[in-house]
This record gives sequence, C-alpha cells and structure tokens, in this order.
Amino acid sequence: MKTISYNDMEFVLDKTASGWEITRKQAGGASAVVAAGLFADLPDGEAEVRAEALVKTVFPVGIKSVGPDVAHPNMVGDLKIVGPDVSHPNFIYWNKDSTSFAK
Amino acid sequence: MEIKGSVVLVTGGGNGIGEAVAKYFSKRGAKVAIVDMVQKNIDRVVKEIKEAGGEVIGVQANVTSEAETAKFIKATLEAFGKINVAVASAGIIRDGTMLTLDKETGKVSRKMGLDKWQPVIDVNLTGTFLTLRDAAEAMVNGGWEGLLVPISSVNKVGQIGQLNYSSTKVADALMPKIIIGEFLMRGIKNIRCVGIAPGYTATPMLTGMNQDALKAILEDVHIGRLVEPDEIAAMIGHCVENGALNATTIEITGGLCNSKGIAK
Repeated sequence: MKTISYNDMEFVLDKTASGWEITRKQAGGASAVVAAGLFADLPDGEAEVRAEALVKTVFPVGIKSVGPDVAHPNMVGDLKIVGPDVSHPNFIYWNKDSTSFAK
Repeated sequence: MEIKGSVVLVTGGGNGIGEAVAKYFSKRGAKVAIVDMVQKNIDRVVKEIKEAGGEVIGVQANVTSEAETAKFIKATLEAFGKINVAVASAGIIRDGTMLTLDKETGKVSRKMGLDKWQPVIDVNLTGTFLTLRDAAEAMVNGGWEGLLVPISSVNKVGQIGQLNYSSTKVADALMPKIIIGEFLMRGIKNIRCVGIAPGYTATPMLTGMNQDALKAILEDVHIGRLVEPDEIAAMIGHCVENGALNATTIEITGGLCNSKGIAK
C-alpha cells in the first residue's frame, strides 16, 4: 500500500487480489474508489508508477469542469449576455474549449 | 466483438441509462470507464461495480469540453490500454415551447432563451460529437475493434416542448450513417457505429415526474410500462456482439404509438 499526496488530495494505491485499486481520501475519514482491477499483470513497481500517473490524469491540476455558465448571465443595461461567465470564480479560460467564447 | 475483455467507455455513467450500461458490461467481463459530471454519482457507481468484482475507473468530466474529453480518453487508455466501445449517453433536457403567448392579449409573452437552448445543444450534440470523435481517434490509432454508440431518443421524430432536445436527438440519430460513410471513404474498417433511440425509460428523470402525466404517457406505450434501463443496456450489448449491425439507429420503445394507435 502506498499513499500519495497530490493537488491537495490524498490517494491510496493498494494491491488487491483482483489487481491494483486507487482510492481517494475524503473529508471525515471516508474514502471513494477512483479505480479498481488495474494492472493485474504488471510487476508491483511498474503498476505503482502507472497508478500514480493515472491519478494525475484523472485529477489534473488547473483544469476544472466548467460548462456554459448560463445560470449567471451578464447584464449590460437591458442586454443579457448568455454564455460562459468569465467573472465566475470557477471559470478558467481554455482557448481550445469549443464552448468558450473568444475573448 | 466479444464483450468479455473489452473496454467500454460510458459518458453519463453516473445514473440512468449510462449506469445500467456500465453495470451490464461489467457483469459480463468488460472493463468499464465511467464519465460523469457529478463526482458523488461516479463514486457510488464505481464502488458498486468494484464490490461486484468489476474492473472500473471513474472520471469526473464535462463532455462539452475538448480538454476534458481528452482527459477521460487518456485516463481510459492509461487504465486499460484500449477502448472498444464508446457509449455517449450524457444528456440533459430543458423543456419549454419556443414561444409562449399571453392568454389575454394573444401576444408573445416569453421566448425560449439561449439559457434553455444552448446547454442542451452543448451536452447532447457537441458532447456526443466530441466523445465519439476522440474515441474513434483512439480506436483508429490503436487498431482495436470498436463500436461507437450515440444515444438518440424516440423524440427525434419531434416532440412538442422539446425543440432543443429533439433537434439534438435527430442529429445524434443521423450520426451513424455519416460516420460510417466517412469511415468507408477513408478506409477505416475496424469501427462500427450504431445509435440507440430509447423510448420512455424508467430513469429517475421519468419515474420522479408527475404520476398522472406518467400514466398518460404509458397509455400510448403498447407494452404498458416504461422501458427498463437494463433493456437499453442489453440492446447495446447485442450491438457489440452482432457485427452486422452498423450505420443505423435502433429504436427501443416498447411500442410507442400516437394516440390514434399508429406507431411513432
């Protein structure tokens, strides 16, 4: 079993009978399964490296899920601008995102 | 294609039809990647599949984003090494008529806004496109046998109050013909595409609705009940196993009819 801290989160990599399991520690001591049954045919060291890489793919730093924020329309006078609300704290501009408006 | 040993990617896998599809394939020996917007739904489904002995990964992602689509495709490949089946079942509704009239004046009092139109287009159409596009890219580059499954709806024929939703679902239903035509033109032979158009299905969205309205809906369904999500999943399973199914969209409705008894 190996514990890794990453992106303000803690993950546990654990070898089980059916392969490697990744769990994410949650507030209050609970944990959630990220993946199970992985890399059963790999040597332990390689499986750990790949599990750690997988964690970083699933929980990347700097990208959060932000869709068109139509619940927070911008008003300019009487004009209602519907689309991503760039002033919303969860909005991160992504210039290849098909749902982002050009700046 | 055999289900056992295949890798199945399901968007909207945290509840409803997507959850049923993920569990169906996992029970039959497939490795499953669950994508959803809601982390707690992912956590629940992943836990249940893991406890049943399945091989599974859960990825929180927004299917309308190219960056996030790339993320869940990459995660699936890192976890399982390939993708064989991509089921694009993430979908939303924002019902309403295009125009609403004031009863007294007869003038337009309200129009369907982009707040109801755009999210449905983004999730149901753009999201399906991005999922199928990037899954197909992986399948072509990897050389794996594959099946792309856009989820349409019987309401592709046009449902009052769902101009946004029906517009996306008729487009989703058309995708298999165009995609496979392009694959033929480009010499891509390892991937099939079959759309599924469910009728009224027993998902939380429908079972939680006004029960009188639900009863009225069921009066037009020949089998007299909602289609079960497991029945949709079983149809997709058949599509995986039957290599002749391709470039079409299959309805599974229980016999949905117009009020005069003509099948829709």
